Amino acid sequence: MRRGRWLTKVRSGLETRTAARVQPMAIFVLLWGNVVFMGSDVALAPARIPSNVAWTAETIATASSGDAFRGSLIGRRCDRCHGREGFSSSPSIPNLASMDRLVIWKQLDDFRSGKRSSHVMQPIANSLSLRDSADVAAYYWMLPIAPDPHDDRAFPQAMSDPKHEAIAGRLISTGDGRRGLPPCQACHGPIGFVVGAPSLATQNATYLLEQIEAFASGGRANDINMRMRAIATQLTEDERHALAESYGAGVAGSGSRLAAR
Amino acid sequence: MPDPNSKVSLANSEHPVAKGSSARKRIRVLAVSIALVCTWLTVRFPYEAKSGLEHLLNGPNQVNPQTLHLRGEFMESNLGPAEEPGGGVTVRIIAQQYLFVPHCIVVPTGVPIRVRMTSADVVHKLSIGDTNEEVKAVPGYVVETRVQFERAGEHQMPCHEFCGPGHYTMRSRLIAVSPEEFRKLSPQGRMNCASR
Repeated sequence: MRRGRWLTKVRSGLETRTAARVQPMAIFVLLWGNVVFMGSDVALAPARIPSNVAWTAETIATASSGDAFRGSLIGRRCDRCHGREGFSSSPSIPNLASMDRLVIWKQLDDFRSGKRSSHVMQPIANSLSLRDSADVAAYYWMLPIAPDPHDDRAFPQAMSDPKHEAIAGRLISTGDGRRGLPPCQACHGPIGFVVGAPSLATQNATYLLEQIEAFASGGRANDINMRMRAIATQLTEDERHALAESYGAGVAGSGSRLAAR
Repeated sequence: MPDPNSKVSLANSEHPVAKGSSARKRIRVLAVSIALVCTWLTVRFPYEAKSGLEHLLNGPNQVNPQTLHLRGEFMESNLGPAEEPGGGVTVRIIAQQYLFVPHCIVVPTGVPIRVRMTSADVVHKLSIGDTNEEVKAVPGYVVETRVQFERAGEHQMPCHEFCGPGHYTMRSRLIAVSPEEFRKLSPQGRMNCASR
């Protein structure tokens, strides 16, 4: 009885006098809330996007849905530089045989969007559709790394300095915890495999050295979340040469391809 | 004269004074509680990462771990320490296999430092050496903690949660310098000592 009257009283009060106070208060609360909400992103700097590729489920599905046969036909255009069997005759051009298809797909996309620059590869990537890239990637992913006497390949190359093997071996297998350098194999095989990280077991030395230098200088910056830039900037000159030569000599290569799958 | 606050007079609905004051008091109590709720909804308390309204609107702080580099506060140009308008410093960190990015961070001493972190792949845990801070980075969520350094010095920040074969080398550095030196090193309030 009393409660009912009290509610009526409150209602009528709200309708007549309090409404004028409550409405601005509600608006104020909402506005304030929005300001507080936006407060967490106030310090946004001019944005730089390293790569348009994000490893979402859809991207991975698109990139791994290639048709290797169709890719083998498109891939005839790549023969001249990357070799008929995916092994280049020039040490400054990457070997693509058995390279993970997600890796090839991402690099083609980065060339296409200009996130990675190359006078040769950018026009070529521009001529490929998304499906073409997936097909070519599937083709090179399928190629074996087995040696072929009829093939003209630069890999493997002899190391210039035998003491490089020890330096590189340590970095590849155990890294350097004091500097926070993870072991190369944790991402590039054979132990672990991070999506988008190429298997380096059969890569050419000159190409690898160029890429490490480019990551260190910022000339190449298409690594998602700055992984390679953070590592490459900390490597000494000697370590860069040692790592490139060691991978180029096939020292780190034994069995890594199988483990990486 | 009957006491307006006594039960008897309250029950007596014929009494005009008692009825009026009781209703007014209830309205006042209601208004105060509404005001408290509004304060809780909107004010960011020092120990809370978000205000209550943000929780109501967005749920916990969520990000897509796969698209950190495309949009939002963890884009690479926004990582590391950033001076805030209010005077503090916010440090944004991505934990990923097997690196914290930025790999080395410079912060000023004597000011509150807000650390916001997320993971790009698996669960990591950032332990800030010489302080008692340890924050777990879970992919998909932003975690936040506050630290303050009173003395200049270098701190190791290892990962304290097994995250894969490279876990044992996963560590970054944090260097606390005086505010003057910080301003000198980084006029824009962004400082990265990762290069060598």
